[in-house]
Amino acid sequence: MLEISGLWKQFAGKPALEDVSFNVRKGEIYGLLGHNGAGKSTTLGIILGMVEPQRGSVKIGGHEVGRERAQALRKVGAIFESPAFYEYLSGWENLRILTSYSGGFNKADAREVVERVGLTKRIDSKVRTYSHGMRQRLALAQALLPEPEILLLDEPTDGLDPEGIHWFREFILGLRKERGMTVLFNSHLLGEVEIMCDRVAILREGRRIYEGNVRELASDVPVFNIELDLWENACQVIHASGGKLMEPGKISLPVEVDPAALVASLVGAGVKVRAFTPVKKSLEDFYMEIRRNGTADPLAIDR
Amino acid sequence: MIFLEQLRGELRKLFARPRTYMGYGAFLALEALVLFFYKLDETQNWSRRQLEQNGLDFSTFYSSLSISFMMILLSMFTLGSIFFALVGGDIVAKENEDGNLRLVFARPVTRLRLLLVKYAAVGIYTFTFVIFVSITGYLMAAAAVGFNGGLFAMEPKMKIFAAFPKWADGATRLSMGMIGIAISMITLSSIAFMFSCFRIKPAAATIVTLAILFVDMILQNFPFFKPYEEYFVTYRMSAWLFMLEKHIDWAKIAESYVLLGGLNVTLFIIGWLAFQTRDFKT
Repeated sequence: MLEISGLWKQFAGKPALEDVSFNVRKGEIYGLLGHNGAGKSTTLGIILGMVEPQRGSVKIGGHEVGRERAQALRKVGAIFESPAFYEYLSGWENLRILTSYSGGFNKADAREVVERVGLTKRIDSKVRTYSHGMRQRLALAQALLPEPEILLLDEPTDGLDPEGIHWFREFILGLRKERGMTVLFNSHLLGEVEIMCDRVAILREGRRIYEGNVRELASDVPVFNIELDLWENACQVIHASGGKLMEPGKISLPVEVDPAALVASLVGAGVKVRAFTPVKKSLEDFYMEIRRNGTADPLAIDR
Repeated sequence: MIFLEQLRGELRKLFARPRTYMGYGAFLALEALVLFFYKLDETQNWSRRQLEQNGLDFSTFYSSLSISFMMILLSMFTLGSIFFALVGGDIVAKENEDGNLRLVFARPVTRLRLLLVKYAAVGIYTFTFVIFVSITGYLMAAAAVGFNGGLFAMEPKMKIFAAFPKWADGATRLSMGMIGIAISMITLSSIAFMFSCFRIKPAAATIVTLAILFVDMILQNFPFFKPYEEYFVTYRMSAWLFMLEKHIDWAKIAESYVLLGGLNVTLFIIGWLAFQTRDFKT
């Protein structure tokens, strides 16, 4: 659905993107992560044709943005962090003006979308009277007009309260479920990315340093919390099995070691094992590790 | 059809902003002020002397048409230019500064189409503004001194000296002149529009435009440049005055407006090229 191939971009001689490539499949929610200045917004700008890359190409639905921007963006909706509407106009007028640039305004469609995002009562009020949450709902409404197949979300939940974040997440997941919407999700909120995204790419200083499936992150990491009484005996057994004590109460095991066999060995050595639970590595743990080391699990890194 | 829908939206934005109306308010205030001075005895005596020195009857030519001509002549290149430069300078640069353009760029619209819509909106604003000022100026003058009377128009720099004793003749010539100046002022808006397309603050686009206008006007008045006056933009923009000559030289007028039209197209293309090659980061 979205094909990014070998993007290079410099601003004033400084590299902003270096050979960034990734593909977003139809119906997928794809997360784009990275520190400030990593190149996420530049990537989004290039996808929308707002920024011209020095090299590389972007294809949306088979249309190359550089050459056929209008066709490529026909099925795209986008939301930006702090979307700047025309404050002195109503929400409805904003929708009308923005949609006119996509080929025309359909009142019935607009009403349906406004109702869906829960703005019906305030749609005729001036945008300057809207709260941040209402602006994001309006941003969502404009992105959904007319009928996109892919949504580009740039920090869409920044500044929203927990209820707002929850509502937004459920709305996007609902769109994917109902319409098979493809989503490119650019966010700093790693918890949100973890919940929503199927795959992620991590950018650092303009380079893609990781791409992988979010669901597979935890299963690759054999770390366990362990509670027991005889630590001296236990350490011998753990070391003998090839495991390592990472910190008090936390061990790591090589992938080939069966955790159940280790527990049996501990019990056999007279150790009372009160708890032995796998630690699920969060996306945040993974992200911080990859940021610190520049790499993560070598199997997961493809460049 | 879609272009008209987009233009409608652009005009809605333009006319929904309070600052757009600053110009209208300022001109109404100026017109009221000019009328106030015209009603003073000293001004009337001065007008009487001027007219009688030229062999013209005060009661015929001290009229709403003559006063509204003076209002336009005195104000359009000074006060008017400020508002045209302000609106033209804002139309792209302000939206970029406010971040509105990002939402528009997420749409399948070309930059050329976007600029064409905005340029059309600026042109309509400029044209309608001049017509509004002309009509209100005339109506206010008519309310103050009566509807009747001829038209006396004098502008020494452009060698204009015209007197139309009949109201109908004067009104026709003044109306033609107003349409002419409305078209002329689009060039000023075009200069501001071009700068607005560059990576520039809206205020800077306005100031640079006004600087160009005033430098052009000042240099044109230097004796050294007298032989070259036809090369000055403000000279060409003053071609509307030729419509007040007794025998209209349409070729002379057409030459100026063709040149202004060509200049407008050139300014638009420069602005478009600057806009087209810019990166707009999210």
